[in-house]
Amino acid sequence: MIRALIARIRSLWRSLRGHSDLQAEMAEEFRLHVDLRADDLVRDGMSPAEARRQARLEFGSVERYRDEGRASRGLRPFDELRFSWLDVKLSLRMLVRYPGLTVVAGLAIAFGIWAGAGTFEMVTQLLRPTLPLDEGHRIVGIQLRNLETGGVERRALHEFVIWRGELTSVTDLGAFRTLERNLILGDGTGEPTMVAEMSASGFQVARVPPLLGRVLIEADERPDALPVVVIGYDIWQSRFGGDTQVVGRTVHLGSTRHTIVGVMPQGFAFPVSHRVWTPLRAGDPRYGPREGPSVQLFGRLTRGATVEQAQAELTTLGRSTTAESPDTHEFIRPWVMPFAAAMLNIPLGTMRTMTLGVLSTNLVPILLLLLICGNVALLIFARTAAREGELVVRSALGASRRRIVVQLFAEALALGAVGTMVGLAGASFGMRWAFGVVEALQGADLPFWFEPRLSTSTVLYAGVLTVLGAAIAGIVPAIKLTRGVGARLKAATAGGGGPRLGGIWSVVIVSQVAITVLFPAIAFIVREDGNRIPSLDLGFPAQEYVVVRLEMDREPPSTAPGDTSYAAFLARYGAAHQELERRLTDDPAVTGVTFAGRLPRMYHQWNQIEVDEGAIEPPDERGHRVSSAPIDVDYFEVLGTPVAAGRPFTVSDVTSGAQVVIVNTDFVEYVLGGRNPIGRRIRYIATETARTPTSEGPWYEIVGVAPDLGMTSGYGRSGIYHPSAPGDVYPVHMALRVRGDPGSFAPRVREAAMLVDPALRLHDLMPMNEITRADAEFYAFWFWLAVVVSSIALLLSLAGIYAVMSFAVSRRTREIGIRLALGAGSRRVVTAILARPLRQVGLGVLLGGALAGVLIMSIDLYQAGWAARAALFLGYAALMTGVCLLACIVPIRRALGVEPTEALRADA
Amino acid sequence: MDEQAELLPGSLDLLILKAVSLGKLHGYGVLLRIEQISGGALQIQQGALYPGLYRLEHQGLIASEWGTSENNRRAKYYRLTAAGRRRLGEAAASWNRLAEAMARVLAATPQELG
Repeated sequence: MIRALIARIRSLWRSLRGHSDLQAEMAEEFRLHVDLRADDLVRDGMSPAEARRQARLEFGSVERYRDEGRASRGLRPFDELRFSWLDVKLSLRMLVRYPGLTVVAGLAIAFGIWAGAGTFEMVTQLLRPTLPLDEGHRIVGIQLRNLETGGVERRALHEFVIWRGELTSVTDLGAFRTLERNLILGDGTGEPTMVAEMSASGFQVARVPPLLGRVLIEADERPDALPVVVIGYDIWQSRFGGDTQVVGRTVHLGSTRHTIVGVMPQGFAFPVSHRVWTPLRAGDPRYGPREGPSVQLFGRLTRGATVEQAQAELTTLGRSTTAESPDTHEFIRPWVMPFAAAMLNIPLGTMRTMTLGVLSTNLVPILLLLLICGNVALLIFARTAAREGELVVRSALGASRRRIVVQLFAEALALGAVGTMVGLAGASFGMRWAFGVVEALQGADLPFWFEPRLSTSTVLYAGVLTVLGAAIAGIVPAIKLTRGVGARLKAATAGGGGPRLGGIWSVVIVSQVAITVLFPAIAFIVREDGNRIPSLDLGFPAQEYVVVRLEMDREPPSTAPGDTSYAAFLARYGAAHQELERRLTDDPAVTGVTFAGRLPRMYHQWNQIEVDEGAIEPPDERGHRVSSAPIDVDYFEVLGTPVAAGRPFTVSDVTSGAQVVIVNTDFVEYVLGGRNPIGRRIRYIATETARTPTSEGPWYEIVGVAPDLGMTSGYGRSGIYHPSAPGDVYPVHMALRVRGDPGSFAPRVREAAMLVDPALRLHDLMPMNEITRADAEFYAFWFWLAVVVSSIALLLSLAGIYAVMSFAVSRRTREIGIRLALGAGSRRVVTAILARPLRQVGLGVLLGGALAGVLIMSIDLYQAGWAARAALFLGYAALMTGVCLLACIVPIRRALGVEPTEALRADA
Repeated sequence: MDEQAELLPGSLDLLILKAVSLGKLHGYGVLLRIEQISGGALQIQQGALYPGLYRLEHQGLIASEWGTSENNRRAKYYRLTAAGRRRLGEAAASWNRLAEAMARVLAATPQELG
């Protein structure tokens, strides 16, 4: 029994594998047969020509026996499933013949694929990135985990120096830290740049040769070595104009002079998103356990070594460090991690749960695609039902049911392929765009392993989705339509019985109408959400201001080493800030200079506060949460927004250390219920970074009220301003009011800063009205996405409703004719024929309306009242009902326009 | 009455098995062998032989290999497999039982029924 089964499978496999061989072999066998027979007949005395004719006659139909032969080998099912050129041609012809369906369904599938492929690619890049480096999978990160705090101990230079001599399962152990430094050329121009202070071994781990000169070598790490630097391609192009003689030139990084020794090729940003590399002097001075600067460790697994072996070896080394330094290392354990996870500091536990997350994240677009294809199936069903006559005829001519199903599947696949191509192009474009926005939002390049293009596996994944979608959109309606074709054939009337839209379709129709009604509501809500950020009207001419974040290198300049404490740093920072402000004020184009910890429209951290008396009840148990910002005493004056009540800050507020604050008008309204704030006192009991409430903080007296200047935290716009002087806070944002174009003024700010101190770095130097540009773009993206989704959903659903109605009318044209001939009124005809689809549409509108209603009622639309929301909802529901009915009009008119005589004659 | 007998359904497989059990044969050879051993009493639609051969091969009852024909052409030769030999034995026994039974039935006379 089993042996027989194996024999069959083997024979089938052989036949399938050698499809064309098999055809040729059969032909050869048949030919030989006929030739041998003819020879025998000649021997019996026939003429050769006569003999051949007779032999062929006796053999019978070659075609027939070849087909029977294939069937005998169990190949018939495969023959029926095999696509032919005819299928492809027929499918393409269908795409052209029904352009409406092609466009609507193609767009919908394109959208589904766009979402599916885009999500898959993003999630893969985030969680399972492939490092685009030689044998990138063997590069690992190493972290010191503090079991007591659950955090990561980054002061790891002590371990680094020991391990790099001892580790055998990891070669080329590397360490780096990221520094921001002004890269200053001979002409004095400087821009902040991401510098990797990295051990020379890092370049061996990356295995990327330099474009010019050399990479860092171990000799560069010696304390007495000359300071050298390797620069990235972009900087080489933008700052040195691609000068091939750049090696040997000198640049300043902050206040230290470096000699350029090499240029790295385009795209090289190892270890994360760095553009400049300097040697890390790990052994100088020799740091003790948990001493020295924060660094990150990485390495390359030795050939043949596994992550587990490396982990075991590090665990042993970790134990000996713990034994040697129990005070510092009782809870410190080394961990080997995937490189990207270590660099992004994703904890291992999260990595595991996120792997589950990958599946579930991909599930959402898959479900979306299935939903879309369910709708497309409905359209294909309605269209194919109109071709029922063709199906019956083909069936009569001997096409099996399976053959017809395959052809409809091929048609759906052609449709899906077109949609998939559009969708993949969209996903590729979308990724490039999204990466740009993310980089703009975070103000830095993405790590080098993020690549804005679709991987092969994503394209394959999209292919699988397409086949899956086509199976739903093509096979389901095909099976339904071909069921009972034989019976209809015998009944000899194609129009008589005919397919019906059964229960499952009712569910599809109702749910898609519901979605049609729901989606525009979602778009509307996203839009409202987006409106909350920043209309750019701040109550002052923001476009006349240039803003910049002022940062400074922490270490004292190498030319004048001195106090390395934070207080000394703040003093240096304050002095530099003041000097820069003085120089800028002297510029005739500048009409005012001020600063603040956070500027209008930037995100502010929230603080929970209490008021000594007069506060209204907080909205919930989280208490009153407000933003706060330290500001220059002349802040309101420079912005041209004078305080509305009380007094502005004065210099003596800062010098005397008076505990005074100014609150904004939103604070007065939402915290004090509109009561006079002057003279009341507030204090902080928790902040976004220190969440445990305390009541230890000092009390601050409110001395003035400022207009609303867009202090935004996650909790509304109430805010508090504190007076401050240069050097009180790090870092600060400066705002300059300038005459003329603020964009063209930026280089002069850089120039001035270079003259003040090369260690002073200017970040995010831009006109003030661009602060929220990235956020606005981000929201605009979601809004437009919602609009596109809504439009596609609407289009698809309206097409679906239209198809269902048309189907109902065309299937019963004859009945309508008879009814009209017997004198039935038009209303009666419509109710009789279209009652069921109209009921489905009605149910869908109700369901979607209810969901949209819940949404509209639950969100906060500018604190709109219930009545306003109810009116909005009713208006919306009426509009959507109207839109859905619109899709019914044409079929209804067609039903009423049926000529009884025509209908009876045509359908006989 | 015609000298040639119509083939009963299902009997072609048995004839092919028997033919190739006597030595390996190509398709035309199988036809000749059947005609020869039946004394020309059994006539087969010639092309119909091949689906039968393929079916038996698919079932693992016969196996094929390429060789050279008497007129020096490439030809596919079929031979019986072990499974085919078993099947031939069973089928022949069953056929014989049926044939005997049929013969007895057809030879029955009123006297015998008494």
